[in-house]
Amino acid sequence: MRRAVAAGVPAGLVGGLVFGAAMTQIGVLPTIAGVVRADSAVVGFVVHMGVAAIIGASFALLVARQEPGAGETLFWGLTYGALWWFIGPLTLLPFFSGDSVEWTLARAQAEFPSLLGHLLYGATTALVYVALTQPRALVPTRSAALRGAVAGLVSAWLLVARLASDNGLLATSTAMGDASPGVSALVTMAVGVVSGTAFAVLYPRLIDSAGVSLIRGVVYGFLLWVVVPLTLLPLFEGRGLTWSLEETRAGFETLPGYLLLGGLLGLGYHVLCALARLLFSDDVRDMGREGAGTRGLRALGQGALAGLVGGLLFTLIMLQIDFLPTVAQLVGFDSGLAGFLVHLVIADLIGASYGVLFRRQSYDAGSAVGWGVAYGFCWWVLGALTLLPVFLGGPPQWTAAGAAAAYPSLIGHLLYGAGLGATFYALEVRQSPWWVSRTQAEAERRERRRQHVLTSAPALWALVVVVALVVPILLAG
Amino acid sequence: MPEPRDLVAGGAAGLAAGLVVLPGPGSLLDAGPGPLLHLAVAATLGAALGVVVGQTGGSAAANLSRGLLLGLLWWQLAALTLEPLVAGQGPTWSIDDAAAELPALVCALLFGGLAGLLLVLLPSQTSSPADHTVRTRVVVLGGGFAGVATARRLERLFARDPGVEIALVSKGNALLFTPMLAEVASSALEPQHISVPIRALCPRTRFHRDTAADVDLDARLVRHADGRTLPYDHLVLALGAVPSYSGLDGLAEHAFTLKSLGDAVALRNHVIEQLERADVEPDEAERQRLLTVVVAGGGFAGTETVAELFDLCHVVLRYYPRVEPEELRFVLVHSRDHILPELGPELRAYALERLRRRGIEFLLERRVAEATPGGISLEDGTEIPTRTVIWTAGNRPHPLPAELGLPVSRAGAVLVDSTLRVEGRDDVWAVGDCARIPVPGLPDAWYPPTAQHALREGKALAANLAAVLAGREPKPFRFSAIGTLVALGHRTGVAEIRGYRFSGLLAWLLWRFVYWSKLPGLEKKLRVGLDWGIDLVFPRDIVLTTPERERVPAAVRDA
Repeated sequence: MRRAVAAGVPAGLVGGLVFGAAMTQIGVLPTIAGVVRADSAVVGFVVHMGVAAIIGASFALLVARQEPGAGETLFWGLTYGALWWFIGPLTLLPFFSGDSVEWTLARAQAEFPSLLGHLLYGATTALVYVALTQPRALVPTRSAALRGAVAGLVSAWLLVARLASDNGLLATSTAMGDASPGVSALVTMAVGVVSGTAFAVLYPRLIDSAGVSLIRGVVYGFLLWVVVPLTLLPLFEGRGLTWSLEETRAGFETLPGYLLLGGLLGLGYHVLCALARLLFSDDVRDMGREGAGTRGLRALGQGALAGLVGGLLFTLIMLQIDFLPTVAQLVGFDSGLAGFLVHLVIADLIGASYGVLFRRQSYDAGSAVGWGVAYGFCWWVLGALTLLPVFLGGPPQWTAAGAAAAYPSLIGHLLYGAGLGATFYALEVRQSPWWVSRTQAEAERRERRRQHVLTSAPALWALVVVVALVVPILLAG
Repeated sequence: MPEPRDLVAGGAAGLAAGLVVLPGPGSLLDAGPGPLLHLAVAATLGAALGVVVGQTGGSAAANLSRGLLLGLLWWQLAALTLEPLVAGQGPTWSIDDAAAELPALVCALLFGGLAGLLLVLLPSQTSSPADHTVRTRVVVLGGGFAGVATARRLERLFARDPGVEIALVSKGNALLFTPMLAEVASSALEPQHISVPIRALCPRTRFHRDTAADVDLDARLVRHADGRTLPYDHLVLALGAVPSYSGLDGLAEHAFTLKSLGDAVALRNHVIEQLERADVEPDEAERQRLLTVVVAGGGFAGTETVAELFDLCHVVLRYYPRVEPEELRFVLVHSRDHILPELGPELRAYALERLRRRGIEFLLERRVAEATPGGISLEDGTEIPTRTVIWTAGNRPHPLPAELGLPVSRAGAVLVDSTLRVEGRDDVWAVGDCARIPVPGLPDAWYPPTAQHALREGKALAANLAAVLAGREPKPFRFSAIGTLVALGHRTGVAEIRGYRFSGLLAWLLWRFVYWSKLPGLEKKLRVGLDWGIDLVFPRDIVLTTPERERVPAAVRDA
């Protein structure tokens, strides 16, 4: 614990330095100094660094017992940073400054730059903490880096070739809108390769399931969005950092692209790792205990059934907001019934894919809902914001206004995910409750599995839902 | 089940977190009596969180995140859905409503995170390990359809209750899909493809590959042949049937049976071996003996076997150029005046006519008297010279129940009541071919010993056993057979399903489809499907697989 704190303080200081440097560029540091009622930037900076060190130390306390690893710690850091935005600028700061604590949209929007700063703070603190406590964790093996780069390249290519072909360069930045399509495609690919390699640094080895890797990728994509188009590109282009609401709103159209890039990257990286293990590992013990054919089909069926339940829940929201006719247009009808049927088929297919991707990842009702909700969010981005508008003949709704208009659908997707995850869990329990032990060996296996799942998974669920619910509100309001 | 301790600890943590966020501008549920409702919701959500954490345990970081998630989900339910509903406006889930409810979102989020963190401080954190003490031991004797069906259903019924331990004792380690056994004998299917390891079918059952030599009913102990014992609280007898030669001479030594995989493989090898020898045999009488197959018994097994062996021999004959098709002789001996007694008269006649037209001889109302190495003799004195005799004319229930002194019928089947419990005992049950199970409501009527009955009996027994363990009343077993399907070799069959009769190609396809779909597991379905597909386009295999070790010739060994 002492060692963890000893690493947490400098980690928090570095995080605070990055955060502070960014805020200096924007010019909001004196606000923090308001706590001690001094308008001097120096006092403000000292207070800021002091707070950063304390928060860094408590972060170290929090993650000291968690699963080690760069990726795991990074996601904890992101969630931790996001939480502190709610606690700090929105609550404690006005409280100590003697203002009223408001939590209103106006207040939250005014503090938006600080949200990005807190996310960067969390990420930086986490990575420095890893560098100090497990320095080896940040050096990838050559093969892992290669896999990451290939996964990133393919994901970026898919995004450019399949989704963003009309819109040029959605995945990097609107700021590059003037560049020719060829150049922008190249830049996108380069971003893909670099981010893929960085992902391999975070996760040098293949662990757990494809679905978990997918969700990690999506959250990673969100971080990329904060880092690349919102932070690095303005600096790189010499525009200076503003993190202003307007600029972020304008840059929102790159967010779905980054989320999809991250998701594809996570999935692709998992597939490549699995493939590498399948082809190049000469030790049969590396293989899964049971073949994919044995239980995979059952998972498929259970997922489809669970998807049906989630889809029925979603139908309630669709009825209330009268969305079914829009769904029916996918097959050229406009009646509610046709829409209902199409909706159920889609819900079913997505449920089946959930079964395959997230098999054996739910160890209690909480984690079941967590994965389900996170998966539901993925489909809001891919389905409601991207595929549905494209299939209906329009461009993807990758704008802040589009996302705001699809907010009811977001709630529906999250509800769908919750129903899907919970039902799938119930079916899995009934069929194969792998955590119920009959012998000591089973008990040990169960314990390993639980620890294995208790990685950064809870942080991922929480972060996905925070991002999903809060970011559209802030940007659209 | 949620532990009260977790509920209380979680509720307290929730209450505390609710109090902390109470002065803020948002609340967990903004309807009616303000702070009270807010605190009630806080306590309830905290208790829910406490249950989840108590069941799986967790660190501060994990609890914090779970709390955040719970808070955000609650916000969607309360602020965006319930409150508009209560206000009578109907929810819209629009971004404007969401933006207006931002204070509630921040409140829910901070509350959740705080409640999660507080849960770590509270003493209920040491989640107790699951109770592993075994309260009830169920031992199933027999790994056929009935035994495996019982164990599988029991596994499912007690999936979340490690207090019930299920053990299965069987002398083979696989469930044999007996309806396809004749096709293994005729080289159409690979032997392993029609059997599934019991360990794969019942992963949470303790499997013992052994023979139960004896059972001590008073001490409730199953004794294995090597002296090991297995204690039980409930014993399930699913031992099946064994061949019965009715005291006839020579059958046990010289006749094949078709009960196990080993039987089928041995029969296939034997038949091919006879063809090999006949091809080079100069003596006409011996050739005739080698090329004659006699099946005793005209039930399902006998009829299907003679038809399948007929197919095998004629299909592979092209490899044996010195054997003429006319030399092959197939005889079926049956004691009644009709074969396939389970079927209606028309289908019986159809089956007989089709098989006779192929050249299979039927000796009806005749009985086998004796078997010798060179042939069999019937009761009327007829002698049939043959090297291949297959006995399917008699089965009797496994002798163990009678040896144990349990009540048995004249045939040797253990007597059970309609709930499948052995008469006079409340800890011994029996299903399948070894039990005589009364049909409820019909005096002196018993369920026939078939696979489809055994499967249902096993499931019903498991349900009854679970009911008794839970203190409920067991239910009588009721099942009406769905139908009967018989394959008559190449592209022909007869079937009677719910009174509808089918024959010829359609019945044969039905047979294949129904039994294929009943094969346990996708893997075996694929393998059997592949075997059948290959059989369509390639000749049958005549590789001999007699499991004999090669002996190195002495001259080589000593050199």
